[in-house]
Amino acid sequence: MLRIKGGRVYDPEAGIDGQVRDICIRDGKIVESVEGAAELDASGMIVFPGGVDVHTHVAGGSINFARAMSPEDHRRAQAFIRTQVTRSGLGGYAPTTFATGYLYAAMGWTTVNEAAVPVLSARHTHEELHDIPVLDKSLLVLMANNEIFIDLIEAGEYERARDVVAWYIWAAKAYGIKAVNPGGVAAWKWGHDAKALSAPVPGYNKVTPGDIIQTLARIADELRLPHPIHLHCNNLGAPGNVATTLETMQRLEGHRAHLAHLQYHAYGGDGWDSMCSAATQVAEYFNANPHMTTDAGAVLFGDTVTITADGPWQHLLYKLTGRKWGNLDVENETGCGIVPYTYKPSNLVNAVQWAVGLELLLLIDDPWRVFLTTDHPNGACFWRYPEILQLLMSAPFRQACMEKLPAKIKQRIVLPELDREYTLLEIATITSAGPARALGLPHKGGLAVGKDADIVIYNPQDDIAHMFGHPRYVLKGGQIVVDDGEIRSTPAGREIICQPQFSPDIEQFLRPKFEDCYTMSFENYPVEMERVAEPLIHPCPSPTDT
Amino acid sequence: MSRDKTNALEIVDHATCTFCGCVCDDIKLHTDRQRIHKAERACVLGKAWFLNHTAEAKYPAALIDGREAPLDDAIALAADLLYEADMPLVYGMSNTTCEAQRECVAMADTISGIVDSHTSL
Amino acid sequence: MGGKVTCTLGEVKNRADFIVYWGGNPAECHPRHFTKYTIMQKSRFLPRGRKDRTMVLVDIRETKSVKAADIFLQIRPGKDFELITILRALIKDQPVSDAAIEQTGLQRDAVEDFVRRMKAARFGVIFFGMGLSMTRGKHMNSAALLTLAAEMNAVTKFVAMPMRGHGNVTGADVIMRWQTGYPFGISYNRGYPRYNPGEFSTVDVLVRGDTDCAFIIGADPGATMPRPAIEHLRRIPTIVLDPHVTHTSRLARVHITTAPAGIAAPGTAYRMDEIPLPLRPAIDSPYPTDHQVVQRIHQAILAKPDWRARTAQQERQLDATN
Repeated sequence: MLRIKGGRVYDPEAGIDGQVRDICIRDGKIVESVEGAAELDASGMIVFPGGVDVHTHVAGGSINFARAMSPEDHRRAQAFIRTQVTRSGLGGYAPTTFATGYLYAAMGWTTVNEAAVPVLSARHTHEELHDIPVLDKSLLVLMANNEIFIDLIEAGEYERARDVVAWYIWAAKAYGIKAVNPGGVAAWKWGHDAKALSAPVPGYNKVTPGDIIQTLARIADELRLPHPIHLHCNNLGAPGNVATTLETMQRLEGHRAHLAHLQYHAYGGDGWDSMCSAATQVAEYFNANPHMTTDAGAVLFGDTVTITADGPWQHLLYKLTGRKWGNLDVENETGCGIVPYTYKPSNLVNAVQWAVGLELLLLIDDPWRVFLTTDHPNGACFWRYPEILQLLMSAPFRQACMEKLPAKIKQRIVLPELDREYTLLEIATITSAGPARALGLPHKGGLAVGKDADIVIYNPQDDIAHMFGHPRYVLKGGQIVVDDGEIRSTPAGREIICQPQFSPDIEQFLRPKFEDCYTMSFENYPVEMERVAEPLIHPCPSPTDT
Repeated sequence: MSRDKTNALEIVDHATCTFCGCVCDDIKLHTDRQRIHKAERACVLGKAWFLNHTAEAKYPAALIDGREAPLDDAIALAADLLYEADMPLVYGMSNTTCEAQRECVAMADTISGIVDSHTSL
Repeated sequence: MGGKVTCTLGEVKNRADFIVYWGGNPAECHPRHFTKYTIMQKSRFLPRGRKDRTMVLVDIRETKSVKAADIFLQIRPGKDFELITILRALIKDQPVSDAAIEQTGLQRDAVEDFVRRMKAARFGVIFFGMGLSMTRGKHMNSAALLTLAAEMNAVTKFVAMPMRGHGNVTGADVIMRWQTGYPFGISYNRGYPRYNPGEFSTVDVLVRGDTDCAFIIGADPGATMPRPAIEHLRRIPTIVLDPHVTHTSRLARVHITTAPAGIAAPGTAYRMDEIPLPLRPAIDSPYPTDHQVVQRIHQAILAKPDWRARTAQQERQLDATN
């Protein structure tokens, strides 16, 4: 039991905007009142709900591939020395699992969603998630290039496709559906890509990326998954891709959807020389159409490593940069590409990317629908979030940063014209309340009675980035995990998984297909429940038919 | 698990062979839990691997300085030796499970030692 | 270049119409590789199976795998790096002298034919074994080969994969990477992971006499390592966990018999392409599992007084009580 006394509380869902309130905690939950509880004096301090990351890459085959490719970064990265409560580890752009938990927690983030997992290696991802302490975790499985699934759409067998997707989610012990470059990664298996939403995917007669997107969106809705289709659009990173992005958003009308790392999909121009921001167009459409949420995928200057299931894009990036290239195609399901990258302020393309991420966060007017991410580690590492918060809260700071960019940038972006400054309540929305709602986690993202007691307490400071990077206290499930920068305890954290309903006959249908294109036994493929650490199961109601 | 009617052996299907890096997981084992009598679909190396191991207590539970010793004593001595060492080394981890490997790395962290696998050879 | 362009084995089964084995002898070392994953499989894209695929074997000697190959390229020992470099040049249409080609032990025709076939493939894969990675040039050979595969993607789809040997060594790699950032050769001596093969790799540590206690599990260095390394293992207290009393057990202070993984011990193992698979034990061993024994030893160590760094919080508490 604990009473957090006298803090200025920011709870967007409850509409509490800096009023002084006590928060009472019992058994890991926020309660109405507690008798004789210990008190934590938060007078003059700022109290937020714990951060929720809607889109990050922290566990599994691809980030672990990136770790193998980054020894030079590990060598200079922040070292976590083993203590009596922590394991050792390394930070940097592909942090080790234990360090990932400590870095997120030390910044006040308590829930993360691993956004791209092949079902084939979900067992591996769960093992890594088990070794990420403190945080609650969920994972999304990659479905948009699954050949068994695409074949079903090609054959017009929708019902069966829905059962197959539900079966895969449960086999992976996942939380929802991720779609990456629909059709494009399947085409990459032969070295091709899929760039137009309405042209058949190479290797297929009828099915188009647009069909895959609409089918998955419908399936996520009908299976009544708490989180809708989580979509990485086609043509990521390409100049002029705004056309694809707008068409995708139109095709999603009538469905719920979450568009991942929108920054990478909001470019105008027709080549690298003319690439410019199209954030205004994207934000206008987005503001007018409330069926979607998105996350920024913001970029910060510096070194990082890019990781995505978007294999063809990574091949291009390797050719552009001449740096290391990792690629891992996964049978029947997906691919994965890894290229280290340095965003330079002197590089016009990078400067545009930096501006677009901020522009989207400033131009989308509803903070409940746009969330803070960097698509870690793609745009920047998650532990640099406080730098973005400073850019959002201070227009003069943004102006000062823009001074360092090439003069030519001015015609390509709209950021200099934006003077919006985020309030603390809006920051609490884009870092916690909004992503929790979008993920369908009613027990997260707020400080009302009944919520999980995941709480972050800051000492107000003029230096915004420093304040957000150094909370005074962080509580996870009511337990103090960070005290003045020190990791004090490391509870295990839970894995949140979804149980959608499907016809049991689907296994009979799947088995021969599976034996055709996979190399492991069908019986060994699903992750057993006992492999999931501390599961929290969300049972989905029976599918609806639309 | 099912029983093979002809010779009353238990069948363990979809078993995984860890002898080589292929890690074939489609092996059908016929076992009486004391020894494996048949390893269907296994290759010549896999067959030898499965058929040569038995539940027979062929070796002492533990040896200390070459003499038979109780397991508890061996575990306690191992812990003492590793704890007292300045630069302990944890090595190998090829023919073992991931669960054991994770614990090995955790232990190396605890004792501030070196940890290394066959890969370095 | 650096990095690796690869895939899971099912991609090879489904798509690879051009398969190279370089410095490996799968027929004897990975007997089901051909039948389960590569040349013998039929797939939707390669319906005629073996007939739709070409297999090239590159090695310094004739092994039993030659029988399975369409083309055997016998090269001079120690000339792998040279041949890979020549292939990289020819793929980019750069000139290579006859003399350079001949020193690899091959004729120009054979090499140019190899290049033509690589370029004509729809999906090419190169598996490389210890004959490449453990001979003259070592990791430089592997890096060159991985680069060759990456560069081939300018022409067609191409991947490469090492033929990992013993059992679950891949699992050890994968786990060390997520827990420490590095795949092997790691020192926690400063309280956090550092990596330096050659400094922290076992043979070097033992030969230099840098370690004062060795814990050996799932390996028998007493049978395979250089004599000076074995001598050091004999000098220091060595602890062995193994299902058998091994060469190393005989020179150890402590041997503990454990249940063999996958036969009597449950758990997980990783395939060479880093796909995790569950183990289904079929024998009730009288011995504990490796996992149980390591856990008990670790717990016993954790129960001893901890000399390691305390958190500032703990320091403050100590200050307050003193």
